[in-house]
This record gives sequence, C-alpha cells and structure tokens, in this order.
Amino acid sequence: MIEFTLNGKAVRTDDDPGTPLLWVVRDTFKLKGSKFGCGAGLCGACTMHIDGKASRTCMTPISAVSGRNVTTIEGLGTPDELHPLQAAWVELSVPQCGYCQSGQIMSAASLLNKNPTPSSADVDAAMSGNICRCGCYVRIKEAVLTVAGQSLAYNADEEIKA
Amino acid sequence: MKAINMSRRKFLKTSSVVGGGLVVGFAMTGCSTVKLPIEMSDYGFVPNAFLQITPDNTVRFYCPRDEMGQGVTTGLGTLIGEELDVHPQDMEISFAGVHRDYKNPDFGVQGTGGSSSLKAHYLPLRQVGANTRALLVEAAARDLGVSVGDIATESGHVVVAGKRFPYGQFVGTAALLTAPEQAPLKLNADFRYIGTEFSRVDAIAKSTGTAEFGIDIDIPGMHHAVVIRSPIAGAKLSSVDKSGAQNMPGVTDVIEISSGVAVVAEKYWQAKTAAEKLDPTWDDVALAKVDTSTVRQDYAEAMKNEEGVSDTDEGNVVAGLESADHVIESEYWAPYLAHAPMETMNAIVRIENGEADVWSGTQGIVAAQGLVARFSGIPVEKVRAHSTYLGGAFGRRGTLTHVIEATEVAVASNKPIHLLWSREDDIRNGVYRPASLMKIKAGVKNDGSITAWQAKRVGGNITPKTLENMMPALFPGLGDGTIDFMVGLSRDVFASWVVDHSSVEGLYEDYDTANKTVDHVTVDHNLPLTFWRSVGHSYTSLAKEGMVDELAEKVGMDPVQFRVNNTQNNPRLNNVIKVGQQQMKKMQPAEGRYLGFASHHSFSTDVAEIAEVSVEGNEIRVHKVTCIVDCGIAVNPDVVRGQMEGAVMFGLTAALYGDLDLEQGAIKQSNFHDYPILRMGEAPEVDVIIIDSGTEPTGVGEPGLPPIAPAVASAVYKATGQRLRSLPFKLA
Repeated sequence: MIEFTLNGKAVRTDDDPGTPLLWVVRDTFKLKGSKFGCGAGLCGACTMHIDGKASRTCMTPISAVSGRNVTTIEGLGTPDELHPLQAAWVELSVPQCGYCQSGQIMSAASLLNKNPTPSSADVDAAMSGNICRCGCYVRIKEAVLTVAGQSLAYNADEEIKA
Repeated sequence: MKAINMSRRKFLKTSSVVGGGLVVGFAMTGCSTVKLPIEMSDYGFVPNAFLQITPDNTVRFYCPRDEMGQGVTTGLGTLIGEELDVHPQDMEISFAGVHRDYKNPDFGVQGTGGSSSLKAHYLPLRQVGANTRALLVEAAARDLGVSVGDIATESGHVVVAGKRFPYGQFVGTAALLTAPEQAPLKLNADFRYIGTEFSRVDAIAKSTGTAEFGIDIDIPGMHHAVVIRSPIAGAKLSSVDKSGAQNMPGVTDVIEISSGVAVVAEKYWQAKTAAEKLDPTWDDVALAKVDTSTVRQDYAEAMKNEEGVSDTDEGNVVAGLESADHVIESEYWAPYLAHAPMETMNAIVRIENGEADVWSGTQGIVAAQGLVARFSGIPVEKVRAHSTYLGGAFGRRGTLTHVIEATEVAVASNKPIHLLWSREDDIRNGVYRPASLMKIKAGVKNDGSITAWQAKRVGGNITPKTLENMMPALFPGLGDGTIDFMVGLSRDVFASWVVDHSSVEGLYEDYDTANKTVDHVTVDHNLPLTFWRSVGHSYTSLAKEGMVDELAEKVGMDPVQFRVNNTQNNPRLNNVIKVGQQQMKKMQPAEGRYLGFASHHSFSTDVAEIAEVSVEGNEIRVHKVTCIVDCGIAVNPDVVRGQMEGAVMFGLTAALYGDLDLEQGAIKQSNFHDYPILRMGEAPEVDVIIIDSGTEPTGVGEPGLPPIAPAVASAVYKATGQRLRSLPFKLA
C-alpha cells in the first residue's frame, strides 16, 4: 500500500509499486488530464508536479512518491477558476489538438514557481522537454512570458472573456 | 412562455420530417426513417441534424467534422452561429454521431481531411443556421403576436421593440412549424462573427485537462488491452507461447487476433508489463528483405529504366526543351515518415446484448462504426459510434486498425475493452507518408521564360491502401474476397493505367509553360502508406521550388522575380508571391543570416514563406518565418494564423529531422529519441500575413507546410552554396 497526497487529498493505492504514477493517477484515481505520449520521459505529456517540481510521471514508479505531494493539471485550476497560465493559454488560443497542453502548462507552472521572471532562453530551457506536435511553441512561449512577473495572487473573476 | 409538451415519439416524428431536406449540398434523401444520433434527454428542439435548442436556451451544435486541432469546432461553429445569431463561444459543441446528414459534402462520406471543412461547409452550414433562425423568428412572431418584420435577433435572443426574449422560449412553437429551405443568408458586410477573432471554443477545455480524448474514455467493467504485433508490416503470427503473460498479475486473457497477440488485464500497466513477456514468431513476408538502401536502389533503377504512366501531357516537351537556352535536370528524395500525433492510437469497444458502442478519435467515425460491425457481426445500425477530440491526426486517424483490434479483443474476451498503442507501436506499426524519388528536367530561355517542364516521380501510391482500409469499414457486409479483388484491381490500375493523383500533386501545376509532362512509376515495397499532412505536396514542393531556384540562377534572375514572371496563369498565387516579395525587400537579416523564399498552391490555398536561416557548422537554424497566405475569407483569422504557425513547425520537423529507416523490413526508429520532433528552443518566430481576398474560404490545415522546406533550402544555398535536394536536410 502506497500513500501520497494527490491535489491536496490523501490517497492510497495497492497498485504494484513499480507502476508509473501516470497510470495510477489515470486508471486508479480516474484523473484523465495528464496524458500518455511516449512512455520514456521524452515528450512531457505526462508532466505533473512532485513536491512542486515538474516530473515525467510515465517513468516515475509510485514507490518513489510515497508520502509526497503530487499535483496534476486538475489541481492547478478548473474551467471556472483558471490558473493565470491557463487564462493566458485561453486568451492566446494556445492549444490546437490540446493533447500535450496539460504537460506544457505543468512545466510552465513549475518554471514560474522557481523563476517568476524567466528570460526567453529560460523558457526555452524549461520547456524543451515538452513536445507539441501541432507546433504551438510560439504561443506557448508568449503565454508563459505574459504570465511571468504577474502576481500569482490571482482573481479568477478577471479571467478572459474574449 | 410556451412549455414543450410533446411525447418523444411525436417529437421524433416532427423533427425527422423537419430535418429531412433543409440544405442543398447535404444528402438527405430517405433520412426521415433514420433516427439522428442525438441524446434526447433534454432534447428541446432539434430542427435538423446540427442544432438542438432547449427551453433553457442552450444551443448545442453537433459538429459534423472531427476536431484534430485544426479549429474545426470554432470554424464550423462560427458559420452556423453567424446566421443563427449565436456567438460560437455561447454554443455547446458536441461531436456528431453517424448519420447521412453528417457526410462531408466534398467527399460524400462522413470524413474529415484534405483541408476541406470550411470550404465544403461554408454555405451549407450557414444555410442551416439561417433556416433555423427564420423558424425561430416565425415561432416568436406567433407567440408574441407581432409580425416577422418587427423581429430582430442577436446573441441567441429575439428582440422586439428593444425587449429581449431567449430563443429557448419559442422552441415549442418552432418544433411544430416547417423550416424554410432557403432563408436568405447575410451579406458579408453584416457578419458579426465571421472574420473576427475570439478564443477557440475548445481553448478552456484544452487548457484545463478537461477535453476528453479517446484515451480518456473510462466505462464500467472496462479492461485494458495491449497488442504485440510483428515488427514487419503484414507478417502474420506464426506461433506464441502465451504462458509467460497469462500468469501475470491482473491478466485475464491472452488472445490471438488478426494483427498479433493481445494481452487483456484489469489495468493498462498490467497488460503492458505482461505483454512484454511474450516472444511470438511471425510468418515470412517479402518486405523482410527490404532495407532503405533497397528502396532507394529500386527507385533509382525505375527512374532510369522505366517510362511509367502518364499523368499530364501538354504541348510538346521535347520541342520545348530544344528551344531552351538552358536545360537543368535534378533529382529529389523524400523518405517515409510517421505522423506521430501526441495521442497514440486507441479505441474503446463495448459489446453487450447484441449491440455495440465504440469510442475513438478518428477522421471518419462512420468507419469505426463499420469496422466494429464487420468484426463483431453486429448489424451496423446497432453499433453506436462516439467521437472524441483527436490528440493530433495529420492523416493518421483515417486508418483504424486499432478499432479492428479492440473489436476482436472485445468479442474474444467478452469484456469492454480499452486498447492503447505505445509510442513504439505508433512509429513501427503505423501507416506512412510514402517515400519518393522525383526528377524534374526543365528548360529556360535567357529572358527567364520556362520552355518545358518534364517531371517524374517514383514511389508507392496511397489510394489502394486507403481503399483497403476504407472498404471493409464503409461496406461492412462486403466479403473479404471481393475487397481483396477490388484492392488488387486498384493497385494494378494505379501501377499500369492511371496515376494516383496524390502521388504527383504539386510537382508541376504552379508555373507557366505550354509544355509539360508528368509521368509516374509505381514501385511499392508493401509498407502501408497513407495521407500525411499536405499529402503529395509534402514532398513535391521541394522538387518544384528547388528547380525554379536553379532555373532563376541559371539565367541570372532574382528567384522571387522569376516566380512573379512565371505565375501569370495563377493570379492568386502570383499575388501572394508579390506580397512576399515586398515583405522580403523590407527585411534586413542580421549578419550570418540568409533569407530563402518559396511558394506553393495546395488545397485551393496559396502560400508563400520567407525563412531567415543561419548555418553554424553543419547545423541549420531557422530563426524566423514570414508566411503570406490567401485562403479566401479567414473565418477566424487567429485560427488561420495558428494553422500556418503549426504547419511551419510540422514542415520544419520533416525538413530537419524526419526520417524512417527500413532494416530487413522493420522500421528502425521507435520513439522521440530517434524520431525527433522540433522543440521550443528550435522553433522560429512566425509572422503570418493573411491576404483578404474576400472569396469563399479554402483550406488552411495543410497549405502552410509545403513551402517551408524549399524556403529553408533556398536560404541554405545562399549561406553555403549547397543545393539541398534530399529530405531531411544534411549539410556536406
């Protein structure tokens, strides 16, 4: 039995300790926002935060998250209460197919937690592990830089109407 | 307010009568007997297959095309919302199930591709919106006791003397009226939503992890399946020892299916882990003797020795070449490519009480329905097919072997099945952009006029494979023998009689000359082939544009001016080139950076691109791309920009990295480490200039791709003096 915190809630599972966190979150806890893309830590679609740090969960066995804090895209914001990054994503119409965007946003959120005012090169470096096959990179970067430096004490009522 | 008080039976009768025959261009005959695949629990008013308006004023749009990222829900929602006077963002959008009313008017089947959606639906969906609005206005006039002329509409409301009434208030009356068939459409000047910019209607769902893709479907009792397939396409299972997988935790079934061996378990990871214990053997196939070098050698010999089949023969090419001051001949190569959409293939199939459900993100949900019927034996009308968002497609999701697999596993295991491909399966067991060898021999006079254009392509054809995929799906009752016969026939036809146009499209059309020939030699090594974003144009553009650069250089003319001079017969392309020329003149590339230009017409749209490139050592870096596009009316200019940006990145991945190698018939590459995709740090800035030509919209999903590789090649030539004629680009 492995116990950890998932989006602020204590959870426990008897899944095999070798099972990657991604599949436990998707199949056992039924949170489907984090995606499978490569199974090898190469594309970033599965990115979640483990103790605040962006992690490739298709490669992270749940034994490694015992007692730790896991945050998924569902824990970052919701359609009614968007995180500032999500609001910027919407305003700039960043997603195309949208499949990679949960991972992109989680990587961006981790970057801004560590470095609230990243340079363009900082964004490139932090986001280089996330592939977008639709090629939305220009907008992803613009969205991250738009939010960079904003107060993260965010008022959801001000969100995008466009 | 008038409450809806109809039995469901009466409602269905009314709606189906009303629904049959609203729109010219949509096949509607006989549909009064075919129930619409629409959830009726809060049904309200369903005037046609596309709209459902409930008493609480929810306006639901059943989008007939598949959302693979190209923005079709936003685009088609804008068309219907424009005439209905409902903001597209205020509509609920659902994906349509299978029904004849949802056929793509361009294809005659329910499918999405070919950058066709806005072009095909521009008038038909607006007409649906206009007819429905007229019906609501008529109902409001009756209910409010005013004349139709006193009623205006805006944002989902009827407005009478400044007072607003929601559409939902009138749906009871509207459902009893007959809709007009040709309500007048708005003048372009009156557009409220077409041509304006607002966030994509799917942006919130896709930024919060709440958009539902096929992989996210989770139904009660669902088991997960993983399939081990032959590394060589077409090889059937010879033998397998199932015991290694059978006793693994969670595993319920190990099943032989048509494509290999399936392992079924309670959870995905259990199935995946157990499947790795299997070590099946496979029958021998001819492809097992083929390496990439075999392909290249066979193509080169065919190019040299075989005449092929004629696609185009205009004027007199021999005389044209003789009259030239200079003749240039060059060969161009493009490799096999995988699509590698971020969401790997998956399908969810449930078979229960003689009925079936299938969920999958496809480019033609009717095909998923047909395949489930065919491989389960359940009548097609008892198969409910549910569309989801597509996690990328680019042509890949027109081939649905994963639906066949899920059906076979569901039948054999007697369980609801969620079947998922790994990335390795996606790269190695897929369907591919055909490899191509192209040759162009062209003549030019010293004044810069082209005297002859002789083009030839060697490679496989995608149409026979498409038939092989689609016939079992679209005609579930047709026997295997008949299908094999027809597929074989189409192979022979395209090898010996007529050219599969998608094999040569884009190789010759754009430039003026009276003397043109296009010939084609089919050489096919049995690797499965299919559409890949921009199809033939994805490889022909490099040959055509590369040759034009060489001709311009030969006569000492600026290559962009050369294009202007030689596109007089294609005025829209000519104008796009001229706008590009003006842009290029304004650009001041930094030291060590060079500008390359290319243009291309595809999917009825014209695009020119200017790439700003530097070369450091053997590394090509693309810093900025300026893209000029004429796609007629840009229904949502921001979506058009997004498609151009994305197509540039997709084309750059192919130009700089995209390569698949065959080794003894198997694809060598397997995941993103050896099949790399462009990443953020390598992505250029992209400026998009949309030319407002005011004509009806044409495609935008694909046309941004073909110019990018030749534009980069042109810049690299300026930087290094090396002509790049082989994809992906490698500097000597």
